[in-house]
Amino acid sequence: MSQSTKISLRSQRSLKQKATFVLIVTSLTLLYAFSLWSQDFSIASSQSSPWTILYRLFVVPLINPSYWPSFVEKSWLMIETVAIAYAGGIAASILALPIALLAAKNSGGKVHYVGKMILNAIRSIPELLFGVFFVAAVGPGSFAGVLAISVNSIGMIGKLYAESIESIDRAPVEAIRASGGNSLQAFWYGILPQLLPQFLSISLFRFEIDVRASTILGLVGAGGIGVPLILAQQQRHWEEVGIILIIVILFVVVIDSVSGRLREKLN
Amino acid sequence: MIEFKNVSLTYPNGVKALKNIDLTIQKGEFVVIVGMSGAGKSTLIKTINRLATVTEGEVLVDSENVMRLKENRLRKLRTQIGIIFQDYNLVGRMSAIRNVMVGRLGHTTTFKSIIGRFPQKDLQLAMRNLERVGIGEKAYVRADQLSGGQKQRVSIARVLTQQPKIILADEPVASLDPPTSHKVMRDLKRVSKEDELTTVVNLHFIDLAMEYADRIIGMREGEIVFDGPIEEVSEKTFEEIYGRPIREEEKRGD
Repeated sequence: MSQSTKISLRSQRSLKQKATFVLIVTSLTLLYAFSLWSQDFSIASSQSSPWTILYRLFVVPLINPSYWPSFVEKSWLMIETVAIAYAGGIAASILALPIALLAAKNSGGKVHYVGKMILNAIRSIPELLFGVFFVAAVGPGSFAGVLAISVNSIGMIGKLYAESIESIDRAPVEAIRASGGNSLQAFWYGILPQLLPQFLSISLFRFEIDVRASTILGLVGAGGIGVPLILAQQQRHWEEVGIILIIVILFVVVIDSVSGRLREKLN
Repeated sequence: MIEFKNVSLTYPNGVKALKNIDLTIQKGEFVVIVGMSGAGKSTLIKTINRLATVTEGEVLVDSENVMRLKENRLRKLRTQIGIIFQDYNLVGRMSAIRNVMVGRLGHTTTFKSIIGRFPQKDLQLAMRNLERVGIGEKAYVRADQLSGGQKQRVSIARVLTQQPKIILADEPVASLDPPTSHKVMRDLKRVSKEDELTTVVNLHFIDLAMEYADRIIGMREGEIVFDGPIEEVSEKTFEEIYGRPIREEEKRGD
């Protein structure tokens, strides 16, 4: 028996591949060095120290009873924010369906790239821009927020829907067609049971994101808790800002964990 | 009764899957088609319910030319022909009994099936068929929670709930281990005899074929190279069908 050659985990690399690797690593390092060097890291002077601000944000509102009624008042605004996310999310999860059917390779056919393009276009526009646009269109308030959330969410929901549609197992459809079922029955019993739980799960996941997004949307006047947040911040009223942040964090944590558990059950 | 009259099938890519097949299968027969993969077994079976379309000749089921049927008549015919697939073709997220009721869709109006209002006697039938293949207690378990053998039994129950005249089975045990293969084949044979169904099964394991067939049809390269009752079949016959000595892996064992 001949002497066994040494086995390597990696396949043999040519000199050219090694050179490419070195080139990539060097250029990335240079790029990083350049971006560090080009930035101005000096800290602009501020009247109050960061520690004071942090203290006024998260400690004062909790220990000073005169701020406690404000928590209740702001909670109602947070509920409005969640309602904006919910209404917008439901609208988006319905509106995304036809676009997803168009965008999926197997259902959209030759024109599926049109659907993909619509979804990509929507996703590339930041939610704040939608907020500004709809506030200008229908005036400030929750309605503008709902519209912004619903249009903005279509991009991601539609893309994930389309991926679910593309990964459908056709075998049950074949079985139904082979036993004399018609195409509507094949869809209802062969495809829908595969899609519905996934669609629900996707919509729930997007709702979690929408809650955070609709908080931000208030900053441009689209209703909810973002409006008092930006006002308080502009007046340097840190206790007020702290109350709002605490409420947002609490709501987001609770909603994320409930929705996460629901999604686990759906899979 | 199933009749093939000079049937040929050429796929669009030019592959000749079936060549001049003449074959008659009588009512109530349990026929096993054997041959290597690529011999045309699967295509042959699928021409019976027109999952594959023949390019020449005719396939008759109870004297009706399958190729001539319009959409509605074809669906009617398909309700009479149950098919069992190698990979079960169940919806994993649905319960066993819901999968079995899928076999009833061809007998149910579209509206009633979509609102889920199946006649009580159909549901009774579905449950009885699950019990007949020994998995009545799994009726409300999701199909993806079942073992391979249980899944294939669900698909046998689905086919029975169609109340067909013919059962086709395309490699029904190829994804199962040897003991389960025997159990599933035994169940299939038993229910097919009880209901006096014409059954056509594709198998590539010769020992399974020998044990369960009434009649064996051997195929090679799209042609029938053997056709005879099980009494005439020996290991020698298989060597003729395969055109070479039998290998150990062509037996399922037990």
